[in-house]
Amino acid sequence: MSGRVRIDVARRFLAGFLPAVALLASAIDRPAFAADRFPLALKDDRGVTVRLAASPRRIVSLAPSLTEIVFLVGREGSLAGVTRYCNFPPAAATLPNIGGVSDPDVERIVALSPDLVLCTTDGNPREKVRALEEMGIPCFAVAPQNLDAVFTAIERVGALLGAADRGIAEAAALRRRAQRVRAATRGTDAASPNVLFVVSTAPVIAAGSGTFMDELVRLAGGRNVAARIAGRYPRLSVEDLVAARPDVVFVAGMTGVERFPREVTRWKEVPAFREEAVVTLDGDLVTRPGPRMVTALERISAALAAWREKRVKAPAAGGGGKR
Amino acid sequence: MTAGGKRSGAVFPVLAAALLGALVLSAATGPVSISPRAAFDAIFRGTDDTPGRVLLSLRLPRALLGALVGGALASSGVAFQALLRNPLADPYILGVSGGAAVGALTVALFLSADASPLLPLCAFGGAALAALAVFLLARRRSGVSPERLILMGVVVGAFLNAVIMLMVTLSPPGKIPGALYWLMGDLGLGTPRRVAVLFPYVALGTVLLYLLSRGLDLLLLGDHAAFQAGLSVERVKTATYLTASLLAGSVVAVSGLIGFVGLIVPHGARVLVGSGHRRLLPASFLLGGAFLVLSDTLARVASPAGELPVGAVTALAGAPFFLHLLRRNGGRS
Repeated sequence: MSGRVRIDVARRFLAGFLPAVALLASAIDRPAFAADRFPLALKDDRGVTVRLAASPRRIVSLAPSLTEIVFLVGREGSLAGVTRYCNFPPAAATLPNIGGVSDPDVERIVALSPDLVLCTTDGNPREKVRALEEMGIPCFAVAPQNLDAVFTAIERVGALLGAADRGIAEAAALRRRAQRVRAATRGTDAASPNVLFVVSTAPVIAAGSGTFMDELVRLAGGRNVAARIAGRYPRLSVEDLVAARPDVVFVAGMTGVERFPREVTRWKEVPAFREEAVVTLDGDLVTRPGPRMVTALERISAALAAWREKRVKAPAAGGGGKR
Repeated sequence: MTAGGKRSGAVFPVLAAALLGALVLSAATGPVSISPRAAFDAIFRGTDDTPGRVLLSLRLPRALLGALVGGALASSGVAFQALLRNPLADPYILGVSGGAAVGALTVALFLSADASPLLPLCAFGGAALAALAVFLLARRRSGVSPERLILMGVVVGAFLNAVIMLMVTLSPPGKIPGALYWLMGDLGLGTPRRVAVLFPYVALGTVLLYLLSRGLDLLLLGDHAAFQAGLSVERVKTATYLTASLLAGSVVAVSGLIGFVGLIVPHGARVLVGSGHRRLLPASFLLGGAFLVLSDTLARVASPAGELPVGAVTALAGAPFFLHLLRRNGGRS
């Protein structure tokens, strides 16, 4: 008798326990933001816990990357205001304008009576965000520092906006695309090209280590020559270019500054200038920690693949020369 | 106020050697290593390899540009200090800098990137217009008084500064770094062409100022005394003003706003050779040239994060050095 009882207890225990384990496991797999159940409390990238009683209906975005994420998770209908730089998707540009990233107009934001402000610690002035918080507007700061953190940010913003599943799905799709690029570069046994990524052509200012551009170049299988120089955005002389001999040069194009002056490109010691391997990318793709960073990664990877192909066809060109 | 007197002429060979040494040091410093042999071959045999091309097309032009700019700023500073009878005068005091900046920024910010050959021209044009405006505003039937010149210069300068701030704020974000470097003072790319463009202006300006030396000496005594000494005061003032503005304007056009050199180098030179302009002007030119070439070399190599704007280095490195110089020779200048 007592034996049966014991088995029964054990069975009952297991029956109760297993689902609990499964639940726990899923909770670990998808942390607090998994369920878009409100009220919701989520810690932002400043460490501030933001509490929302209900899914936000009037959102103000203080950065183009955040606007792109809101559109990505399908909550653009709730966007009440964006910055003057928010130009993607094109529909974003038609939304009410609250000023710039570094100079958001607090009064205009308050006038929109938002129930959530999405902000970043990389560009939004801290005291303005604090002023909004003091007026009782919840501000959620997103500041991803690498590509993985961008994907996580998409999931977190999705959860915050009541679109957790969409956020998780979109982030997963982006992760897959990034993974494909990484797998492709791992497959090649060709040497990795020396790459320079510039954010300004006159003067030449490069993206050094600690920047998204540096990470994208590395993920695409290139070697960032500016990463050896100290500082995130080192300024290079023409002589530095001649000494570094990049094989491929990317330009983060911004209005009016897509090309190098001729006095710079005439230095044919630089393989990228000799072989005309200067690629201009839309600056927005590489400077905004948003979904389109993966597009940038794919384009960089494609450009490096083209360089490798050219090198296989004409090995006499010698790539980096004597080094 | 000795006019050099006891100090022997040995000062000039020393200053010339300092400038030459600075030029050599600057040409020898940089990320591409150039052996003395390669340098010799490049200069005297015309070999066409990378080190040679770096030396001849980048480093030497940049060093010479630094010498011309530094010398011109210092000479212009001497002239303004005499003209305004004010030791705090510098080449930028009368609105030249603001005018040049507005001219240059108009090109840099609002025209296409390929319009850069226009930049020096527009900077020079802006400087000339601003200088002329200040001069005409300050002039009265009785002539030009230093006080009115300074007052008008400050007013015009403040107005132009506001215009500069507006232009930078309203410019496309991608163009702001270039504009800021220019405003901080930056020799930028040294090319033989830029040296060739600047040289005639600097040569003409410094020679003209040298010819005005005696007039400048007399101006320091005051208008009345100068007039009694037989000087056509107004003519000398006008000539000095226009020449010094020409020098400052042409230099600003290629290098942006490099502060400090035009203000302090003349005082340093006075400590060495006294305040007679026949000695003070050449001494200031040599000292200013050497100082700027050295500062620029430092600006190129000092920071691991790439080149610094030389304008930051001139003040940072120069101020303590010249304070020391002035204190040691207390009250001399």
